[in-house]
Amino acid sequence: QTALKLSHQFPGGTVTEGDFRDRLSRMFAAEVEKRSKGALKFSIYPGSSLMKTNAQFSAMRKGALDLSLVPLSYAGGEVPEVNIGLMPGLVTSYEQAYGWKNAEVGKELSRILYDKGIVMVSWIWQGGGMASRGKPVVDPDDAKGMKIRGGSREMDMMLKAAGAAVVTLPSNEIYAAMQTGAMEGALTSSTSLISFRLEEVSKALTTARGGSYWFMLEPLMMSRTVFDKLPKDQQQLILTVGAELEAFALKSSKEDDQQVAVVYQKANAKVVDMTPASLQKWQAIARATAWKDFSEKNASCANLLKLAEKTL
Amino acid sequence: MSDLTLGALYGAVTLVVMFSGMPIAFALGIVATGFMYFFMPPSSLDTVTQNVYEEMASITLLSIPLFILKGAAIGKSPAGRDLYSAIHTWMHKIPGGLGIANVFACALFAAMAGSSPATCSAIGSAGIPEMRKRGYSPGFAAGIIAAGGTLGILLPPSITMILYAVAAEQSLGRLFLAGIGPGILLVLLFAGYAVYRARKEYRMALEIYEKGGQKSAYLEDEHFTLKQKVEMLPRVLPFIVLLIGVMVALYGGFATPSETAGLGALLALALLAVIYGVWKPKDLSPILGSSIKESTMLLLIIGMSLLYSYVMSYLHISQSAAAWVVSLHLSKWVLLAVILFMVIVFGFFLPPVSIILMTAPIILPPLREAGFDLIWFGIVMTVVMEMGLIHPPVGLNIFVIKNIAPDIPLKDVIWGVFPFLLLMVLAVLLLCVFPSIATGLPDMIMGAK
Amino acid sequence: MSHGVDIAPSRGPAPPDNAVIAALTAALDKLNRLLMTLSMIALVLTALVLTYSVVSRYFFSAPTDWQDEASVFMLVGVTFFTTAYVQFHRGHIGIEAVAGLLPRRVNAVRLFVVDLASTLFCAFFTWKSWMLFHEAWVDGQTTSSTFAPPLWIPYSMMAAGMTLLTLQLLLQTLARMTNKPDSERAA
Ligand code: NA
Ligand code: NA
Repeated sequence: QTALKLSHQFPGGTVTEGDFRDRLSRMFAAEVEKRSKGALKFSIYPGSSLMKTNAQFSAMRKGALDLSLVPLSYAGGEVPEVNIGLMPGLVTSYEQAYGWKNAEVGKELSRILYDKGIVMVSWIWQGGGMASRGKPVVDPDDAKGMKIRGGSREMDMMLKAAGAAVVTLPSNEIYAAMQTGAMEGALTSSTSLISFRLEEVSKALTTARGGSYWFMLEPLMMSRTVFDKLPKDQQQLILTVGAELEAFALKSSKEDDQQVAVVYQKANAKVVDMTPASLQKWQAIARATAWKDFSEKNASCANLLKLAEKTL
Repeated sequence: MSDLTLGALYGAVTLVVMFSGMPIAFALGIVATGFMYFFMPPSSLDTVTQNVYEEMASITLLSIPLFILKGAAIGKSPAGRDLYSAIHTWMHKIPGGLGIANVFACALFAAMAGSSPATCSAIGSAGIPEMRKRGYSPGFAAGIIAAGGTLGILLPPSITMILYAVAAEQSLGRLFLAGIGPGILLVLLFAGYAVYRARKEYRMALEIYEKGGQKSAYLEDEHFTLKQKVEMLPRVLPFIVLLIGVMVALYGGFATPSETAGLGALLALALLAVIYGVWKPKDLSPILGSSIKESTMLLLIIGMSLLYSYVMSYLHISQSAAAWVVSLHLSKWVLLAVILFMVIVFGFFLPPVSIILMTAPIILPPLREAGFDLIWFGIVMTVVMEMGLIHPPVGLNIFVIKNIAPDIPLKDVIWGVFPFLLLMVLAVLLLCVFPSIATGLPDMIMGAK
Repeated sequence: MSHGVDIAPSRGPAPPDNAVIAALTAALDKLNRLLMTLSMIALVLTALVLTYSVVSRYFFSAPTDWQDEASVFMLVGVTFFTTAYVQFHRGHIGIEAVAGLLPRRVNAVRLFVVDLASTLFCAFFTWKSWMLFHEAWVDGQTTSSTFAPPLWIPYSMMAAGMTLLTLQLLLQTLARMTNKPDSERAA
């Protein structure tokens, strides 16, 4: 019997209730346990209760952590290529996002990660949008002069180029900062827009329902050191169950995109969707800033971007 | 070995190592790495340093040195004494006014400094001799300062609240606001008791004098002219400016809590330079040096405690302990009582910083499950930890008093502190009955949660 | 938490009896003081940086994105570069409750064991810190923020600081071994 530890940063719940990323982790654990007839057992550590969010990726590489469900781009400082997991405007719909796994870009990304000691188990994508204190931010012009938290290096670059005043602050201060006006817009996943309860302090929301420039790869990953030690059938089982759960992830992300709209509407915020025209403008800005910056990092990044652009 | 047995072993080993007198930071680290070596895969040992770094590299935590600097700038300069004298000049006519003045001075200073011992030593070094000169019994004088000093972690800014906010994932700004109501409540309770006790001691002194005994200094009249009083006013002004300036920056949407820490420290240093002419490296170096010493000591404990809680979590000790507590199906209030009792026991030996770091992973999940508001609990826990600061055997504030006034026997200090402990218990009860004492202000300013 | 009472920097513990250890201790103390001075400057600088970021955002509406990490790096540096100094003055607090209960000889053994164990732990931590530094250096790791500064900077400060701390502890342990038994020392 092998005991495996799965860590993530999201609020803990049960298989049937709570944050879908925690639910997915638990469903994965239950299903693999069942099909392996108890040969593989899991402990789930939600809410960063095992280790700091940022330490998970590197712990997996070292074999000190078995599995983790974590935004891939968080490891961007360690493996520059993974920044492609949250590249503004590079992915604009779920259909495109879920096509990555079997496209050249996905295969190349998996190869790079495997090289770095990480096995991709489940490809999970999330859409996101922007909550704001004033008018909704749809067009790049709307962001001009606004104090916005982009949440990642690449988003910040695009927002800055659009004329926004980019602010950085820890995520536990987002609510307070929106409340006091220290920041006027927050760009993040639909799920986080709900869990941060920003609707209480926002007047507008731009959703991901009609496409978005904000799509984040947030895979379930496994340590290669640990994976390679398992017998072939168990390896296959893990990958199979991981792949099967992608449908659940897609359904849940889409539900959260709808749900966030409902929540903000209830709070009397103005809820709008992204328009294709605006999306293209954002994409143009991103291409000139974040994409360019990314492909200039190294040849491997440049190649990855080229492959990703083929899916557009 | 079951998770709970392993947990008991972990606890026992921790106890032994801690009581060996090993510095808390190293003790936490050594116990954690020891258990990693014996019970965890070897690769865990490779993650030790990165884990510690990740824990420390948080801008929220690293505002601690700056909050300490702000307190030290005032506490270790003539500014602290001025603050004290000014309040004293205005309050001395009220019966027990000197006691009240000391409580108020502690509160004002607490609102600028982040830690309790800092508050204690800043006000106590002027306050205790002054009170004794005026006839206050040594135990009473020590009690006022020890208790008043505990306000340091309840009134914002507060180092322990920073750690709590990070551990409980609550907004630091909201938590800071929640500390103000209970802080004022304690100030009123302490001041009320000071009046009562001072009048009692005054009557006793009068009785002795009338029977032909010694004339206590209680009976001497002190007088300040109006001119003297007015002259003292501008000396308080800078503190008010500093206090309000920082509050406006934080709650007016100008600065994040960590930026506020930097702003506050810089403002405090600027005040020293402009008003007291303290700006030369020679004058500043004791202030900066002592701030760094304290913050280095604290941050090393904070960093190492991450290893400690990581091992606890990895070996499923925290989860099993938390699950065990939940499985007892204690009623909400019994659960709270049990947890607070545990905090008190920890308070016998450990400083608040270590208590929060070591207990948070175990106590927060059951509390969350029981439906307690974690902002409210953070405040209650802070008051309970304040009690730990002044109750024996290990009370940091009592150590501070021993340093300021070594001639007051420990027994007197402990007896002097005792009534204040009762008042703090009363405050905790009031907080349980009227939670809005804590949550009212943040709800009003930042909107209901 | 500090005991709040300023320990004047000049009033360090008495020098060890052994001449070589005393000389090494004095040399390390000199280095520690220099680092302390640098740390004082860095602390004030951090306050300046954070204030600047507020001012620049509100008065020039030009927000800075580097202030948090610059501050984090500086304060990590301050912490690790002064930890040996703090140890020299025995400023890392522990629970000394049993000190009064033990016979003098037993207490001396206890203090020696505590110092030795602390040394070993810090040596282990130092070794792993340098490994972490090496990894970050070779891989060119950066933080994942917008500013994205290289991680070898804070890691090297952590490793260097822990090295000094280990040396300090080692000297203190050696001093305990070589000090004449009759010398009554608190530290
Ligand atoms: Na305070
Ligand atoms: Na205590």
